[in-house]
Amino acid sequence: MEKHSGTTNRAPDLAVQLGPLRLKNPVMSASGTFGYGKEYASFLDLRRLGAVVVKGISLEPRAGNPPPRIVETPGGMMNAIGLENVGVEKFLSIKLPFLRELGVPVIVNIFGNTVDQYAEISARLDGAPGIAALEINVSCPNVKEGGMVFGTDPAMTEAVVRAVRGATSLPIITKLTPNVTSISETAKAAEGAGSDIISCINTLAAMAVDVFSRRPRLANVYGGLSGPAVKPVALRCVFEVCRAVKCPVIGIGGITSATDALEFLLVGARAVQVGTANFTNPAVMVEMIEGISRFLEVEGMGDLNSFIGSLDTSCLFPFAEDSCALVQSEMS
Amino acid sequence: MDKIIEEARIVYQERVLGQTFRLGLHSPEIVSAARPGQFVMVRVREGMDPLLRRPFSFSRIYPERGDFEILYRVVGRGSLLLSRLAPGEGLNLVGPLGNGFELPGKESAPLAFIAGGIGIAPLLELIARITSERGKKGAEGLRLFYGARCADELLPEDALRMPGLRVHFSTDDGSSGYKGRITRMFEEVLAEGEFRPCGIYSCGPLAMQHSVAKWALSTDTLAQLSMESLMACGIGACLGCALPASTPEDPGAERFVHVCEDGPIFLAGSIKWKNIPAQQTAPPTWPFN
Repeated sequence: MEKHSGTTNRAPDLAVQLGPLRLKNPVMSASGTFGYGKEYASFLDLRRLGAVVVKGISLEPRAGNPPPRIVETPGGMMNAIGLENVGVEKFLSIKLPFLRELGVPVIVNIFGNTVDQYAEISARLDGAPGIAALEINVSCPNVKEGGMVFGTDPAMTEAVVRAVRGATSLPIITKLTPNVTSISETAKAAEGAGSDIISCINTLAAMAVDVFSRRPRLANVYGGLSGPAVKPVALRCVFEVCRAVKCPVIGIGGITSATDALEFLLVGARAVQVGTANFTNPAVMVEMIEGISRFLEVEGMGDLNSFIGSLDTSCLFPFAEDSCALVQSEMS
Repeated sequence: MDKIIEEARIVYQERVLGQTFRLGLHSPEIVSAARPGQFVMVRVREGMDPLLRRPFSFSRIYPERGDFEILYRVVGRGSLLLSRLAPGEGLNLVGPLGNGFELPGKESAPLAFIAGGIGIAPLLELIARITSERGKKGAEGLRLFYGARCADELLPEDALRMPGLRVHFSTDDGSSGYKGRITRMFEEVLAEGEFRPCGIYSCGPLAMQHSVAKWALSTDTLAQLSMESLMACGIGACLGCALPASTPEDPGAERFVHVCEDGPIFLAGSIKWKNIPAQQTAPPTWPFN
C-alpha cells in the first residue's frame, strides 16, 4: 500500500477517471433511489456529488406496478416499483434542466422492452446537452419484459450494449444483475460489446409472504432486495468483475457509510453508487464524501487513486511458511 | 420552507392507554413550517436497523414552544423501539412532509371528522386548529365520529374536549359507544336529519376510507382523506407508496399517485378505489415469536 508520509495541508484528491468519464469524487446516487435529483436538493448540495444517476427512463412513460411496492427486511428492503418513470420526453423537458443548471454530471439510466428501444432512447439522449453518460439497465428484476431478461444472458447483454454503442457517442455504463451464475461472464460480454464502464450490482431477486393473509407481500410477488443485507454479495460480485474486465467498475450494493464505500474501492471499484441509504439518511452521500476525505488524511494518502484496488491478498498467514503461494492459488 | 433533517429532543413519552402512546418532540425548525395533515419521517434509532424511517403525522403542533406531538400505536418493531425512548433522548426527523389538509373556508359550515383507530392522530391538530379559529360561537356543527375495535383503543373523552365539538363514539365489539362500524353510525346519524356536513375530513383503515369516499362521492360532499402507506423515503424519490389514481379525462389510464408527495391528503375522487389490491401489510408477528 502506498503511503505518503509527508502529509500536506491540502485536501486529498478524490477525483477519479472512469474511462472517458472524469468525476470530482467517486460518490454518486444509484438509479431509482434518488428520483431526478431535485427530491434531495433541500437536504444536500447536489453539486458536491460525483454524479447524479437518475431514475430509469424509457421511451414512453410507465405507470409502474400496483402497491404494495416495498417491504422492509432485516438489514434491507425489497422493492417492486416496476420502473415507473415520466418517459424520455418529459425527462428532457422537465427533469433534466434542473440538474443541467446545477452543473452536476448527470448519468441517465435507460431501459427498453426490445433491443431497438434501447438504441432508440440512446439516440434520443445522445444529442441532449447536460448528460455525462448513459447507464444501461439490463438488470431490473421487477418487470416482465425487458430489464433482467437481457442481463441474465451474456449474448442478449452483448446485443443491447452493441445497439446502444451504435446509437450514441456518450460514455456507456452497463449495470449488471447479480441474479446469474457468473457475473464475470456478463461483464465480459458487456465490455466486449463496447461498454466503457461496468456498474454492479442491481438488486437481488427476492420474495416475502404474509402468513396471516397467505398472500405475497408485494403485488408483483417478486421484488429486488437492497440495503446493507446485500453488501457482502455485492462486494464479492464487484471483486470478481474487477478481475474479469479491464474497463473501470462502479460498485453498488448496500453502501451506507464512508468505510462501506472504501471497501468497494479497495477491491477495485473506481467509484460507487449509493442507493437505499439515501432513504435512511437523505444527506448520507455528502457525509460519505467527507468521510472518505478524512480517511485519506488519516491514512496519509493525498490521492484516492493510490487506494483503489489496493486489496492485499498476498499473505493472509504471516506466520506460516510459504502461505502466500497457497492463498494466491486459491484466489485465481 | 423546505423539508429538512432535524435532530429533535424528546420532551415527553406517555402511554395513553393499551398500545397507544403520545410522544412530545422539541423540533423548532420543523414545527415552524408544519401544517395539520403533514407528517415526519422518524429514524427510530441510529444505525441501519431498522433500515427505514417510519412516517408519523403531526397530532398536535405547538409553534410557540417549538414542539409537536405524535400519537401512535405500537404495531411492529419500529413503533416498539420508538415507545422505549425516554425524554431527553434525541430523535432524527425528516420533515415536514406531504401536502397537509386544506382548511375549511366558510366560517360556520358544518364539518364531519371521521376517525378509525389511530387515524384520530392527524385529525386532533386539525380539529384544534378549526375550533380555535372559529371561537366558541362558530364551533357549532363540528362533529367527530370516532370508532375503534374496542374501548381499549379509544382515546379518553377528555382528550377530545374541544369547544363546540360533539363526539360520537363507536366500537366494533360494542365495549364503548355505538356497536358497529363508525361509517355506519355516521350514516345513521345523518339519516336522523339534524346534521348534514359540507365537508369531511377522515383518517383510518383503508376499508373505512373507502366507505367515507363512497358516501362523499354519492352525495357530492367534499372529503379530504388522510391516507397511509408503507414508505421508504417519504420525499417522492423511491415511488414505493403508490396508490392507483383516477384520471377522469381518461378512465382507462393506469396511473399512480404517491402518498408521501401527492398526499397524504387526497380528495375522495382522486383515488381509483377499485384498483387498490388487497391489503397485504402483515399484522405484528411478535405474539407468535
